[in-house]
Amino acid sequence: GGRGGMKGGSKVIVEPHRHAGVFIAKGKEDALVTKNLVPGEAVYNEKRISVQNEDGTKTEYRVWNPFRSKLAAAILGGVDNIWIKPGAKVLYLGAASGTTVSHVSDLVGPEGCVYAVEFSHRSGRDLVNMAKKRTNVIPIIEDARHPAKYRMLVGMVDVIFSDVAQPDQARILALNANFFLKSGGHFVISIKANCIDSTVPAEAVFQSEVKKLQQEQFKPAEQVTLEPFERDHACVVGSYRVPKKTKAATAA
Amino acid sequence: MVIYLLYESPSGYCLLEAHGLDEIRQNTEAVRASVSDLSRFGRVVKLIAFQPSQSALDALNQINAVSEGYMTDELRSFLELNLPKVKEGKKPKFSLGVSEPKIGSCIFEATKIPCQSNEFVHELLRGVRQHFDRFIKDLKPGDLEKAQLGLAHSYSRAKVKFNVNRVDNMVI
Repeated sequence: GGRGGMKGGSKVIVEPHRHAGVFIAKGKEDALVTKNLVPGEAVYNEKRISVQNEDGTKTEYRVWNPFRSKLAAAILGGVDNIWIKPGAKVLYLGAASGTTVSHVSDLVGPEGCVYAVEFSHRSGRDLVNMAKKRTNVIPIIEDARHPAKYRMLVGMVDVIFSDVAQPDQARILALNANFFLKSGGHFVISIKANCIDSTVPAEAVFQSEVKKLQQEQFKPAEQVTLEPFERDHACVVGSYRVPKKTKAATAA
Repeated sequence: MVIYLLYESPSGYCLLEAHGLDEIRQNTEAVRASVSDLSRFGRVVKLIAFQPSQSALDALNQINAVSEGYMTDELRSFLELNLPKVKEGKKPKFSLGVSEPKIGSCIFEATKIPCQSNEFVHELLRGVRQHFDRFIKDLKPGDLEKAQLGLAHSYSRAKVKFNVNRVDNMVI
């Protein structure tokens, strides 16, 4: 034994979340969890929950902390669609040490894959180490500003998740989408108002970022705040190069 | 004017030829439409040569050069072998579409092969990326991801100065 926190595994019930590949562990307190792709291993000392299935086998889940992951915060913030789902190919910009990447890796499962881009060598080594055990994670230590540098490593993807916290992040997303995001694909971008302009209110920053995205063939569909997990953060989700509707459809 | 395309894949270099572009090259919107339609794109762009990497080390050498915008000797011989000869004093009747301008100017300086890298070429290369497994017939499902994975690890490990034999070897 010795599992901390979610004690008494038998009392915890895990239910599928509205988003495919995400689950909710219902115990004393509810927790967001993903199904561990590498059972028996934690990535960043997160709690694990083992649940006995009806046929006697066990499934292990990892607790996904919204204070450490903006994607988890967006899910708890009620985002309508994350587009990241089992089997999806995801380009993840700003992968850092790979804590959220590991949950995205759980989420897309063995049929999907995550191209994880991080420029900092310090976090990069943690990312590469994590990817050793998760073969659906393709670690790329390179500057997300120059997608041409890693064009040999990335295929066409369904979704780009971006958390680069740079003033020119809309441009960075656009450059990568131009290389790797399929037409009709989707983007999820986390925007930290302070990183872009700390002199104007957060809401004004979000608005101007949305405008920038619209100029780059993106079609933002929804925006959620990441409160109470992050201050002055928003998450914007939308589609890319949406095929033009036929005239008949527009008329109807 | 024939347009060839250079596509650098993790398993090796590909050279493709774009046909019948006259009808669709007027606007990028039309190219986009033909790119997403698989059967149409297969008629427009055809694979003419593929040079698989000889080894993991060879692949690493290629990506290191490609990401910095340089042409390796292997790429040079691949291009010179498979593209029409460029004769001195004559204007070539073809051009090579590449992903970014730097490798293009590097290829041109050394071989005089005219290169272009513009929105139009980018659209076509997006199509190649999307339908890549259709062009290389020997590729089994999952092969491409395996090649990406292996190459990404060796590329990234070199970047963070990993020693292959030791878990930690801090270089600051």
